[in-house]
Parts: sequence; C-alpha cells; structure tokens
Amino acid sequence: MEAAAEPGTIAYYLDLLRIGDQGWGDELLAGLLLTLQLALCSVALGLVFGLAGAAAKVSSAWPLRALGGAYTTTIRGIPELLTLFLIYYGLQYAIQALFGLFGGSGPVAVNGFAAGVVALSLVFGAYATEVFRGAILAVPRGQMEAARALGMARSVAVRRILVPQMWRFALPGLGNLWLVLIKDTSLVSVIAFSELMRQTDVARRVTKEPFFFFAVACLGYLAITGISTLVLGWAERRAGRGVRRA
Amino acid sequence: MAATLDVRDIHKRFGALEVLKGISLTANQGDVISLIGASGSGKSTFLRCINLLETPDEGEVRVDGELIRMVVRGGRVKPADPVQVDRIRARLGMVFQSFNLWPHRTVLGNVIEAPVHVLKKPRNEAIDQAMALLDKVGLAAKRDFYPAQLSGGQQQRVAIARALAMEPLVLLFDEPTSALDPELVGEVLKVMQDQAGEGRTMVVVTHEMAFARDVSTRVMFLHQGRVDEDGPPSEVFRAPRSERCRQFLAKLL
Amino acid sequence: MDFDLLQRYGPALLRGLLVTLEIVGLSLAIGGLLAIPLALARTSAVPLLRWPALAYIFFFRGTPLLAQTFLIYYGAGQFAQELRATSVDLGLFSVGLWDIFGQAYWCAIITFSLNTAAYTAEILRGGIQGVAGGEIEAARALGMSRGLILRRVVLPGAYRIALPAYGNEIILMVKGSAIASVITIYDLMGETKLAFSRSFDFAIYLYAAVIYFLLTWTITLAWARLEDWTNPQRRPPPDK
Repeated sequence: MEAAAEPGTIAYYLDLLRIGDQGWGDELLAGLLLTLQLALCSVALGLVFGLAGAAAKVSSAWPLRALGGAYTTTIRGIPELLTLFLIYYGLQYAIQALFGLFGGSGPVAVNGFAAGVVALSLVFGAYATEVFRGAILAVPRGQMEAARALGMARSVAVRRILVPQMWRFALPGLGNLWLVLIKDTSLVSVIAFSELMRQTDVARRVTKEPFFFFAVACLGYLAITGISTLVLGWAERRAGRGVRRA
Repeated sequence: MAATLDVRDIHKRFGALEVLKGISLTANQGDVISLIGASGSGKSTFLRCINLLETPDEGEVRVDGELIRMVVRGGRVKPADPVQVDRIRARLGMVFQSFNLWPHRTVLGNVIEAPVHVLKKPRNEAIDQAMALLDKVGLAAKRDFYPAQLSGGQQQRVAIARALAMEPLVLLFDEPTSALDPELVGEVLKVMQDQAGEGRTMVVVTHEMAFARDVSTRVMFLHQGRVDEDGPPSEVFRAPRSERCRQFLAKLL
Repeated sequence: MDFDLLQRYGPALLRGLLVTLEIVGLSLAIGGLLAIPLALARTSAVPLLRWPALAYIFFFRGTPLLAQTFLIYYGAGQFAQELRATSVDLGLFSVGLWDIFGQAYWCAIITFSLNTAAYTAEILRGGIQGVAGGEIEAARALGMSRGLILRRVVLPGAYRIALPAYGNEIILMVKGSAIASVITIYDLMGETKLAFSRSFDFAIYLYAAVIYFLLTWTITLAWARLEDWTNPQRRPPPDK
C-alpha cells in the first residue's frame, strides 16, 4: 500500500476523492446518481400532478377549482422539509393502519426514495399547476375559438390546439421548477436516503474534512444546475421556432 | 451678443450608417425653428445631439456662448466634463414623443423633481412655480393625479410644464404630438403656440405642417442627414427651392 | 383535536415560531442590504465588478440551501482553532469570530443572509432593467446627475417592479428557514421534531403545518396590501 499523503496537500485531497476503498469518489458519484434518479422520478410524477392541478383550476366545475386551489395554496404555504416529514411519517402511519385492518401488526418502514419522490413531486406539481394555468391562459382565446368554429370537439381542440401551444409558454417556468427541484432533493438526506448530500455527510464524519466535502457536493449540484440551464436555454429557443420575436 | 443656441457641423454615425452629415443651426432669443423631413432623415437624432442624449461624432454645441467640451477617449468621442453636460442640460428643456413622465410621482411631483433636486430650489418656491405653470397648461386641478390617470394630451402638457419649470433658455420638442390620438393634438399645439407667443426660444421636430407654417419663424427641411431647405416658412411652404422638399410638402399638404 | 397534546407542546411550538421569525427577519434585513451593492455590481459595465457578482449569484442560486448551511456550519467547525484566534475590531467593542461561527444560530443567519442576498440581487436587477429607458432619458435631459437619477428615478422604479417577486422571496425564506432545524436550532421545525420524538404523535406535524401556513398566508396578504400602498398610480384618481 502506498503512503498516505500529508493532510492539507492537494495530493491528500485528491486521494479523498479516489474511486475505490481508499477514497470517497465512488460513494459521492453513487449519491449524485441517486439524486438524479430522485429528481427525474419526481419531475415525471410532478408533471402529472401539475397538469391535473391546472385542469382542475381552469375547470368550469367549482368543486374541482376549489380542490385545485386548496392543493396549491397548502403545499406552497408550508416548508418543503415539513412536507417531506408529513409524507414520510404520514405514509408509515397510513400503511400501518392499512395493515392493521388486515390483522397485521408491527412497525412499517417506508422506503426513503418513495417518500422523497411523493413529497418532491407534490411540491413540484403545486408550482407546476400555476405554470400550466398561466400557460393555458397565455394561448390567445381566438385559437380555441377558431378550432371550435371549424367543428372540433372541445377535447380534440384542447389536445390538438391548446396543449401544443401551451408548452412553449410553460417551458421557462418549468425549467425554473426543475432547478428548484434539484436543490430540494438534498432535503431527502434528512430521512436517511443516501443521495449526494447524505453521502457527503457520511464522508465528512469519517474524514473530518467537512469544508472540502461540502464544497465538492456544491460543485456536484452546480454541475447539474449549470448543465440544466444550458439545455433549458436550448429547448426554449427550439420551442420558440416559428414564433416571430418583437 | 452670443446666439442662444449655436450648433455647428454635427456628424453622427451609427456603425457604418452616417445619420447626420454636417448639420448646423443657430437660434437667437425668440426663434421658433421647425425641423421637418421624412422619418429617417435624421431630425430627431440631430435634436438629441443638441443636449447630448446622443454624442455627436463631430461638431460643436454652444449654449449661450458656452462650448460643450468634448474629448476623444478610447477611440470614442465623449463629453469632457459630465458636470458641464448636466448643467447645460438643465438649461435646455426637452419634451419627448412618449412624454416619459415618471409613473411613481404625481403631476406636481414630476414638475418639481428637477427644480428641487437639480437647481436646489426651496420646495415651497418650486411648488408655487409649478402650480403657476400647471395653471398655464390648464392642469392645475390635476396636481395630485398620477401620469397613468391622465390622457396622453394631458401627460404631454405636464411634460411641457416639467421642462418649463427649469426656466430653460431653449425648449427642444421631439415630435411632441406623434404619439397622441388626433383629437388630443390640438391641446398640446395650443400650449406650444402660447409659449412661442411669449417669446420662448424653441426647436421643434414635427410632422404638424400647420404648426411649422403658422407658428415657426424658420423651417429647416432635412433629407438623408443634410439640410436640404432652410428659410422662413412663407418661402419654404410657398416656393421651396429643393425638389425633394417640394415633393415632401406636396404629399402632406 | 387533541387538546392535551396542544397544551403540552403548544408553548414550545410558539417559542419555535418566534425563533423562526427572528432568523427570517434578521436574514432578510442583512441579505437585503447586501443585495443592493450586489445588484449594482451585477448590472455594472465594469467586468471587474460584474464577474464576481455573477459568480456569487451563480453559486448561491445553483446550490441547495442545505448544502450551503452545512458548508458554513460544519466548515466553521473545521477551522475552529483559527476562528478562535481571530477577532474583528468594531471600534466600540471587538467580536471574536468564534463567538459568531461557533453558534449554529449565527451560522444559519449568515448562510440565509448570503443566500437571500443572491436571489434579491437578481430580483433587484430585474427591477433596475425594467425601468423604462424614457424615464431615465427625461431625467438626463433635465440635467440630473447619474447618482441623482439612480436615487430618485431608477431605484424607486426598480423597487416597485421588484416588489411582487420579493414577496415570493420572503415566503421562500420562511419555508427555507426550516433547514435551521437540521443544524440543532429549535425554530418552529426544530421544536416540532423534538415534540414528535417525545410524543410520537403524527398530529404534531399537522399543527406545525397549520402554523407555517398561517404565517405564509398572513405575509402574502400583508404583502398584497403593501403593493397597493406603494403603487398609488394604480389607484383610481382623486375626486376632483
């Protein structure tokens, strides 16, 4: 085995980031990967929540509108961290109660990933509801009227005319929400799910190098948010094709 | 005695495009000079060069005999002394096409802002003077309104009062009625005519040919960055020497 | 409703709420002050001012608040020796850096202040760039100097444009402040977690949610009033 480098030197810090038993590189990368998985699953489910929420909010039935309003105002009014705890423990109690009905007993452990995805997608969906609602309202009324005047059914007009145009207006807002979501994934570390933040925390406990490891974690998040920003900019330009700029 | 405003041989380029190719203008006390011409002829740019909202690439501007000093820095012409420019601007009133009132201040607030903060006038004095001016433009009753609560014509009259509150040597008008609905043009022209009647020195970029003909003491026709016709309105409107000016007027009158 | 539970833990939750308000209030005040020079540097034409401001904003907006909090809190612990040896002379009295960085409370306030400064600077920048060019031009034509224009025309206009977005930032700060509980601070979230660990009653989280919700709801309403009040030009004209 080679001699360990002197603490404080660059070689020492590079050793800390090694892939393998000696360094923390592989653990951190695994954490980064889980962070991405968490974010991608949450965005998929969150978009569903968002579309459903927006549909409810622009619906002509008042109970649906009220439901949509209650969903967005509640979620947006309480801390993401608290939402996470509510889901994490709430799911446990719910499942336990369900088990109880069938005569089961004993504590139930909820998978951190599942709780994380549910909580994060609920949050994403609440904000996405507002984005989609704004985007729907941004499509000029005449577009739908023209479709209906040509004899399209409402559902067809929504699918063929409204939704395709809505995405262009929704994209910048959704992009921002994605960046927020990436950062919110770090909260899931507090319920012991080993994404990037959790792995970093483990590394700093063992090595007593908190500043270094948290700085590295920040760089990891910056890499994701930085690349996302570039991709989103490209996507927005693409979505804006065929639209004359003022 | 020095001319109130003496502008010599102004050149202005935007990139490769030469917008002004040497324009001069002299205004004495009480002159009302109308600058007319097709859009793109450079008349607005020229007006903006007079108070250095655009920096001319060549040429001299003298206000009441005082030369605005220019220097070349980093290959670009710049005013040598920003304080001098501010001081001279304070003596040249400007009225914009789009009024440019400050939306967060009331009518009165707009008018007293510069007298209080640039001329350091006592507030009470500035208010008295502002009320007299608002009375003159017929808007004393609107002193506590905000610009968004006024019609375009009213906003432009406030903008004129705001410029007059600085007791300017010269009033510069940049197409003051072009952004107005036709029925509101008259009230603004009336205020301008009153000012001319009081002997105010004015330079007016305008498309209102009736104003140019009836109110101004001199008319300059600009074409592609040059003065193509220059004279008293009676001559310019009755017998223009330049063919282009004749065509321009024929289309409008 | 479980009144027994409320009776036992209600006072603790309210104590936590006060800590939350303290942390958020101080962070917003400090961050708001930092944001003004930051926004001016960000919009400056001088690269030496603009680039550092850009980097600062990119870092604090691009990384999670939790990571920033850990970086400063645990990071400070790593440099405890150096921090203990250093003090800052403030004229009347001097403050040892460890007296500040050694306390989770101040670490949270410092992190939150630096974080909200970055977001607020971007909001202010939007406001500054949103002030119409014509309004500035009119001020120049009246001979107002650059400093005077900034003070009397640009900033007042910018604040009005920025106000709605800043209301959102306040809400986000209130919600983000729950992160303080992770570094041992007993704010509302911290007291809630403590109460839960003792009672194992899930309802305690629901009570906390209600309190947070009422807090953000109140701020939203108050902010809407403030927006009306600072935008008198939107009101109907005075009777005359």
